Amino acid sequence: MANIEKRHSIDSKSLSGEFYFNSLLREAYNCGLLTESDLESIQLQCISLLASKSERYNRGESSSLRVETAESIMESILYSIGLYLKSLPDPDQAAAELKTAKIPELYEKGRRLVNTKLQVAKLIYHMVQKNKIDTPNHSYNSTLSENGIGIFFKSYNLDYGAHDIPASIDYQLCNPVNDLAGVEFIEKYLKNLYLENQFCLSFAAESIHHLLYGYDKAYADLLINIFEQVLTAALGCYLADRDIRELSITEEDIRGLYGKLLKYDNHTFRLIIHKAIKDILAELNITNSSLQSYIESSLPKIISKIENALKLNTLSKVFIIPVDPDLEPKIQFESGVKMDDEEYRDLIAELLRCRYSADKLELIKEKVKSFADLEDILFDAELKEEEFASLFNTLGDVEIAAMIKRHPFASEIQAVDLAEAEQAVRSYLENYIKQLPGNRQERIFRIAKHLTII
Amino acid sequence: MSFDIMNKYPSLIQKQAVAEIVKCNDFTGRFGLTLSYEDAVELVEKRALALKRYGRIEFGGGVIEKLIREFYDSPYISKHNYVETLNELIEIFYFYKNDTLDLISDEELIKFMKDSFNGRCQGSLELLAGRELEKMARNLRYGYAPDYADNEADKEWEAENEDG
Repeated sequence: MANIEKRHSIDSKSLSGEFYFNSLLREAYNCGLLTESDLESIQLQCISLLASKSERYNRGESSSLRVETAESIMESILYSIGLYLKSLPDPDQAAAELKTAKIPELYEKGRRLVNTKLQVAKLIYHMVQKNKIDTPNHSYNSTLSENGIGIFFKSYNLDYGAHDIPASIDYQLCNPVNDLAGVEFIEKYLKNLYLENQFCLSFAAESIHHLLYGYDKAYADLLINIFEQVLTAALGCYLADRDIRELSITEEDIRGLYGKLLKYDNHTFRLIIHKAIKDILAELNITNSSLQSYIESSLPKIISKIENALKLNTLSKVFIIPVDPDLEPKIQFESGVKMDDEEYRDLIAELLRCRYSADKLELIKEKVKSFADLEDILFDAELKEEEFASLFNTLGDVEIAAMIKRHPFASEIQAVDLAEAEQAVRSYLENYIKQLPGNRQERIFRIAKHLTII
Repeated sequence: MSFDIMNKYPSLIQKQAVAEIVKCNDFTGRFGLTLSYEDAVELVEKRALALKRYGRIEFGGGVIEKLIREFYDSPYISKHNYVETLNELIEIFYFYKNDTLDLISDEELIKFMKDSFNGRCQGSLELLAGRELEKMARNLRYGYAPDYADNEADKEWEAENEDG
């Protein structure tokens, strides 16, 4: 009996969250709750409210304003009224209020509500800053900083731009906020982010770091959602009977999961995932009901990803194997001590005087004793491409790998910003590598991957 | 239901504006300047067109009346060019409201137009629109005072006038 709802003339599902006022007028008119003359009177009242707001906007100094400005003020007015009408128990009541109350009154109520919401959003912003995850992800940190969402609280204009979102928000939520604008959008975004943070805080920052590093080494620069990766990993750990808090899964586990999960039909699979989430929440001791429902609403996305991965045999792209960057093999390359400046200048002068390539090579072999000097010579000695190739022929794999590391091949667009000499070195190096046998190329690239130059 | 505010321009305001303009004849009459009802309608229509062309919207009336009040005693306006000049002034006014990025108030802009029209431009609307107001708009956009003079000729002209 508890599920019985009062019948409404206006279906609240057909109303837009972002343009609530306009959609309410449309629906109320279609249902016969508002007549044509009601609409006309509402329109005229809105326009006269716009006229007085515009006058205040111009501080009485100008009688006209740009159409775009007027439209923005009008949107702000309609947004504020819409916010108040949305706060009423149901759309029918909102339509009745529109019929009886004066537009300026509704606007004032709406504006007060916008202000309250702004204060609430500010509070949540501080809460989110406090439960922030410790991560190097740039989009996450910059969105939460004073130059991200922080801008909103400085530039939000309640009077003339209540519908605007003057903030720089790059971080993608697992459940994106759609169909909202202005302060409502920010409030919802921050609420969702707070819940995501709260969930992630159940895990050690280091485990999350290793997980995301396993996802992509350059995850700091990626636009990824951290919560989604963590939740998926926790699910993976649960299904593979691993410790959830570790967020760690192995290749063997993933192979085992194929066998385990492919047995189930879609319905059973979903049931298993939902059961898994329940157990995970219990294990992590999460009792917050909003967080529980947020996680529930994130599941369809994750479930469909796992289902697709099972079909395409790409489960290892969904359940990430964490990587600890500190445990990766490393080769340290010391570039040696540079020669004296005077001596170097003499060498360059001599090289430029040399007529034969063979003499140049001999000279370099004889005088150059460190990698740093060799690099300088490549830039300064104006060598031809054949001379480069013969010089590289005298080098070992590690030296060439170090060269690649220092002068990676750039695309034509990236190369535009480089100095001419640098461009030449890079393209000669690329051509040289390309003509090497395949297995040697592979070996060199493998070395380059683990190489650090000190 | 749409809120196309451009098309909701109430005709009542237009009627009111026409009446206000005709009423100006009371004080312009002694200079031999009068506007017929048709002239007033033409001016109001001109304003509506100018607003539309320059993408602006005006709720009250008043600008035409303000222009009349400032310009009616100009030595360069007679009954032969009165309506024509007002038409041009309306067009120039709205163009420069946009071009000055709304940095100047209506009153200041009209005052500047009048001073330039009666002063340096000596009654030439072309010089007013193409030289004086353009310079003023540039000054405002670059953050200078409206009458900031950046070349020697301007300064000399000003010095001469002060002496005279």
